Amino acid sequence: MRFTSQLIAIVAGLFITHLAAASPEPQRWVSAGGALTEWIVALGGHSRLVGVDSTSQHPPSVKLLPGIGYQRQLSAEGILTLRPKILIGTEEMGPPPVIQQLRTAGVQVEVMSASAELPALRANLERLGALLGKDGEARQLSDQYMQRLATEHQRVTQLKRAAPGVLLLVSHAGSAPMVAGAGTVGDWLITQAGGLNLATHDGYKVFSIEAMSGLNPEVLVVSDRAQNGVQARDALLRENPLLGATRAVRDNRVVEIDPTLLVGGLGPRLPDAVRSLADAFYPDAAPLSARVSNAQ
Amino acid sequence: MKPDLAPKTLFIALGLAWLLAIWLSLALGPVSLPMMDTLRAVLHLVGVPVAEDDLQQAELIVGQIRLPRTLLGLAVGAVLALSGVAMQGLFRNPLADPGLVGVSSGAALGAAVAIVAGASLGGLPEPFQPYLLSICAFAGGLGVTAIVYRLGRRDGRTSVSTMLLAGVAMTALAGSIIGLFTYLANDASLRTLTFWNLGTLNGASYARLWPLLLVCAAVIIWLPRRATALNALLLGESEARHLGIEVERLKRELILCIALGVGAAVAAAGLIGFIGLIVPHLVRLLTGPDHRVVLPASALAGATLLLLADIFARLVMAPAELPIGIVTVFIGAPFFLFLLVRGRS
Repeated sequence: MRFTSQLIAIVAGLFITHLAAASPEPQRWVSAGGALTEWIVALGGHSRLVGVDSTSQHPPSVKLLPGIGYQRQLSAEGILTLRPKILIGTEEMGPPPVIQQLRTAGVQVEVMSASAELPALRANLERLGALLGKDGEARQLSDQYMQRLATEHQRVTQLKRAAPGVLLLVSHAGSAPMVAGAGTVGDWLITQAGGLNLATHDGYKVFSIEAMSGLNPEVLVVSDRAQNGVQARDALLRENPLLGATRAVRDNRVVEIDPTLLVGGLGPRLPDAVRSLADAFYPDAAPLSARVSNAQ
Repeated sequence: MKPDLAPKTLFIALGLAWLLAIWLSLALGPVSLPMMDTLRAVLHLVGVPVAEDDLQQAELIVGQIRLPRTLLGLAVGAVLALSGVAMQGLFRNPLADPGLVGVSSGAALGAAVAIVAGASLGGLPEPFQPYLLSICAFAGGLGVTAIVYRLGRRDGRTSVSTMLLAGVAMTALAGSIIGLFTYLANDASLRTLTFWNLGTLNGASYARLWPLLLVCAAVIIWLPRRATALNALLLGESEARHLGIEVERLKRELILCIALGVGAAVAAAGLIGFIGLIVPHLVRLLTGPDHRVVLPASALAGATLLLLADIFARLVMAPAELPIGIVTVFIGAPFFLFLLVRGRS
């Protein structure tokens, strides 16, 4: 009983000091979600961030902030050392008792959706906009996002061509590639860019090279956690020479994408990725007049 | 070898170390609190009237975060060490680890089922949902141990060596089923599973603590009462029987204690390696093999070591934290090797 009243006093105290300070110093925020961190930065909230979790890898400057560890294994006391006003994360944050302890300590915990669906993204952006006092910018960003995706979709569908069969491989230095199946951001990217994901399993699974060759993809999208660019592609082909027999490799239609795009939900960089994938899927699609420059 | 320590000296030293570890565990954390504030908060929590000015933050951190964590560490450390002693006594082998009867791998299997397939299990009533992982881990540990025990019984007698082999086989079987669940898991549950396998005292809360404390208290009170019987068992099974010990009953009780204790500890804190193996060794090295001393001393030493490891785990990577299983094995394994090498020369 005494404890409860004390808690109320603490929370009320924090609230009052906050009102009184009229915040000359920006609010202190901790973000526990890769895509959310990117959106906060995109909305101009970088200066508020005082800590991020291990899935926040982009933009590179956030990696300089204190790390609070993996989003499902947060430490209450560790986060309290950063004296945050707000903790932002997805419903994947945990463990639940730690979240409860943080709430008790007066941290405002904002739980957003982790789902890779556009309505969820729109709701998250609205909430972030409200928290940052930038509702207009947030709505604009989310409208732009939807519009860019719609434009890409229109650009590839107006060709009225059969969607090319695609496999997205995630490997480590070329070995043991895993194939992105249904429900992954990889699958979402392929579909948005007008491709047909040949893999129909759930999540990421290791395929045998034989099965991959059997599916004979027209385009291979490769992502490597240890290497990037041409190196990633070369490593994959060196480790898995049988892939050379697929149409994708024969026709030289292998595209690399950044593996950090594939984790942490729908981030602001995805429309760019969709565009470069669409370019690879439909090399002869009419470039849009509005496009400033070629991404690749 | 040095002469054995007198039990009295040992208990005084261990008791002091135990109190010191408790104090450090309450006083040290990523948030640095003035010593006096911590002291006043602790006094206030136990009901001593002290001046309450500026005490809210200290009391919140000490009372809601560090105290439940310390209690969890004390219980888990003591139970793992006691189960280690019971296991080594039962198998009459100093290399026995509580995991040998399958309790750890069973609990890991239960946890894997809960983490990967938990959403589709779903049949649990609402108030129990947050405890699904702990319940599954506990049930898995008990279940696999029960199977191992059944397999070891023939004609009303329990063959310890059959149990050992059955334990190895069941551990391998559980491992392969965990592998299957790992394969079926998505990225997020895979990471949860990985971290669970490394153990942590993070996120301890009173609501989750009481079931564990009850089980641990039962084990901590019960096992030392069987010290004389364990001493007799050291001579061999038939010798113990001639000394009037009901060997079959003793075995059943020990296995039950180990399964309950380790099952509850693992359910609350995940897999924490090496405490059950190294602490009994350490204590026997200091004081000799008498279980009347080894059992309570191991409980104290296990709790102390786990608390110290936890302090390290919460400080070294702050504001993130290291899984404690990494710390216990990282300190434990080299120490074990040191003991081996020193014992040979």
